[in-house]
Amino acid sequence: MLTLLIKPKILSVKNSVNTRIVMRRLPFVAIGAGFWILFYIGTYKVLDYVRGIEFFGEMLSGKLFSMTFFSLLGFLILSNIITAISSFYLSRDIPFFLSKPIEMRDIIRLKSFETILNSSWMVMSFIPPVFIAYGVSYNAPLNYYITVFAAFMMFILITAGLGIIIAHILTRLFPAKRSRDILLGLGIILFLALYFILKSVVPHDISKPEDFVDSIIRFKTDSFLLPSYWITEAISPLLKNQKSDIFYLLILFSNSAFFLLLSAITGNKLYRSNIERIQPSGKSAGKFLRSFYPERNMALIYKDTKIFFRDTGQWSQVFIIGALIMVYIYNFKSIPMDAIAGLSPFIRELMVLINMVLAGMVLSAVAARFLYTSVSLEGEAFWVIRTAPVDMSGFLWSKLLYACIPVSLLIVFLVFVTNLAMNVSGILMSTSVATTLMLCISVSGLGTGFGAIYPKFKYENIASVSMSLGGMAFMLIAFSVVIVTLSLEAWIFYLHRIKLVSGFSWQSTLCAVLILLINTVAFYLPMRIGQRRLQENSGVI
Amino acid sequence: MITLDSISKSFGGTYAVKDISLAVGNGEIFGLVGPNGAGKTTTIRMMTGLLRPDEGKIIIGAYDIVAEPIKAKSILGYVPDKSFLYEKLTAREFLAFISSIYNVEKSEALTRMERLLELFGIKDIEDELVESFSQGMRQRLLFTAALIHNPAVLLIDEPFMGLDPFGVRMLKGVIRDLSSRGITIFLATHSLHIAEELCNRVGFINKGSLVAIKNSEEIKNIEGGLEGLFLRMGS
Repeated sequence: MLTLLIKPKILSVKNSVNTRIVMRRLPFVAIGAGFWILFYIGTYKVLDYVRGIEFFGEMLSGKLFSMTFFSLLGFLILSNIITAISSFYLSRDIPFFLSKPIEMRDIIRLKSFETILNSSWMVMSFIPPVFIAYGVSYNAPLNYYITVFAAFMMFILITAGLGIIIAHILTRLFPAKRSRDILLGLGIILFLALYFILKSVVPHDISKPEDFVDSIIRFKTDSFLLPSYWITEAISPLLKNQKSDIFYLLILFSNSAFFLLLSAITGNKLYRSNIERIQPSGKSAGKFLRSFYPERNMALIYKDTKIFFRDTGQWSQVFIIGALIMVYIYNFKSIPMDAIAGLSPFIRELMVLINMVLAGMVLSAVAARFLYTSVSLEGEAFWVIRTAPVDMSGFLWSKLLYACIPVSLLIVFLVFVTNLAMNVSGILMSTSVATTLMLCISVSGLGTGFGAIYPKFKYENIASVSMSLGGMAFMLIAFSVVIVTLSLEAWIFYLHRIKLVSGFSWQSTLCAVLILLINTVAFYLPMRIGQRRLQENSGVI
Repeated sequence: MITLDSISKSFGGTYAVKDISLAVGNGEIFGLVGPNGAGKTTTIRMMTGLLRPDEGKIIIGAYDIVAEPIKAKSILGYVPDKSFLYEKLTAREFLAFISSIYNVEKSEALTRMERLLELFGIKDIEDELVESFSQGMRQRLLFTAALIHNPAVLLIDEPFMGLDPFGVRMLKGVIRDLSSRGITIFLATHSLHIAEELCNRVGFINKGSLVAIKNSEEIKNIEGGLEGLFLRMGS
């Protein structure tokens, strides 16, 4: 039955694939492949460096391996909870399946399958370079690659089973029709968990480099109760050409079967009644700002903001971003600047640059979620805009402003606060804040424009739009803009502070012109093409 | 008020609409009928600007919908066959949004909103989210939104979709009233008896081509009425 239920989805994909679409997506695939290779090289280099550290090298490398699985455990469970709520309870095909003579257990199986696939495809796509880098660095046998694949599949099934169970229970615990509260509860649990984890595992005194290394080593990712520990233990021996510990493989296998079975039992017990509890009926939206009447230019922004706060699907990922940012700031606060300042005269400048690269990474991800999706957010109601006297240029600008302002505030704040945590001030502070603001604006234009060039008005969950091939391609292009801009800026810094070039320099002038040019093109070109595409491609909805 | 001048539209080499020409005058109710897939919705979607004709011109009022879309759209009201709306807005918020993007002045918009919500019988659910509306309620809201800016032309695709008998009766009254006030109505429908009852003229479309246009007097004299003619032309 499961095969039969999946068949329409497979056929839909098959029917939507044609030469034109394949050709249009080919550049995205190439960008993804390029990033994959860069990710591999980056991981390999880091690993090479870490393994070369005296005394601690091998231990740190093993620790990084287990920390990777520990982070993936948290990320995958959270991703599975959100995806399961969307797939089991908010999907459009649920009424269709419920009205057909299909056993409930088959619907649950189908939804579980969808959840597993949708929540883990991104991790499954981008984690192989890490495994391959470890394998190559340790010169691991073929057996390592086979085992790592099988063990990781079981790891994914465990997190999916857990996520689905939690989603069913949360939907049960909270009052009917309150999926917003479910996610709010989830967010609070997540923040508290992160707070206590960080508070308990990081020692208070990390002002010396030894303490800093020590704090990483003592980071408690190795509780024997955690699946991340089992997978680390199952794979690590193979890296050293030892025999794999079959015990941990068996634990992974039995637990993946157990959690999947438990998720099916929980689903059989709760799903039917849960689905009845969340049906919308006569829900009043409250009378907040009821009499507010926006001007024409503000109407779209006002509408989008209102919908954003009411649509759980839109803001559920804010929690993940919030948690990431919390960890980000905490990490910078924990850097022993005084201890490492003696290593190099420009270490503070280097840390500011690293901070901006990382902030650029966060910017790309957040922009993919909030700017790239802003046009698609109109959904199938886009006909309202298309048939109204709304100029597409004005429409795109309103979409840009809707997301650009909060995203820019967030990222600039992030850089400012982390700079403060590192005692950065003066020209370094103002340059980094100004550069970040410029990047926020150019990446916002890039995201809005890209989203207009590749809109997706039919979707189950808006988060799936940012995770589509177009969304991923945007993210990589946005990050490339960040990297090129920061590299050019670093070159100017290198010339004037390290090479001590004074006065006018054609090289730094060229770099400055290139920075402005790249960011202007990144902002303007996609906006222009996107506007034209929305105007001309009248069959878009 | 509406002029279609030799418009054609094809998808993948197959004509959905082929060389249609017609004119609809001020205050006229024009019905477009035809079997499934005949090209009714494609014609209406071209008139709204959702699709561009491959050939020909569409003039709404004095404006070409392709050359001057903003001006043409500002005098158009459109009720689609599928009721996709902003599910997380209330009916009142949706109407306020539509009024804003059509540049209706605030006090005028509020007055019209009250009148139309009452007229279409959705005043008591104006603060509920659209996601909880039934098909019939959505249809009523779509009409309210299409009329909030006092359009000169109203395009309706399947006007009675999901409406109960009270709704159908009310809507027939509204359409007649709009027509008497000079608003031009262009509707595509499968409901032949309603087209026969409401329309001043009816156009028959089949396989993308307009095969005949009959006025209400001519229809009355046809054996079997509109249904008889439809069956003969559609076969």
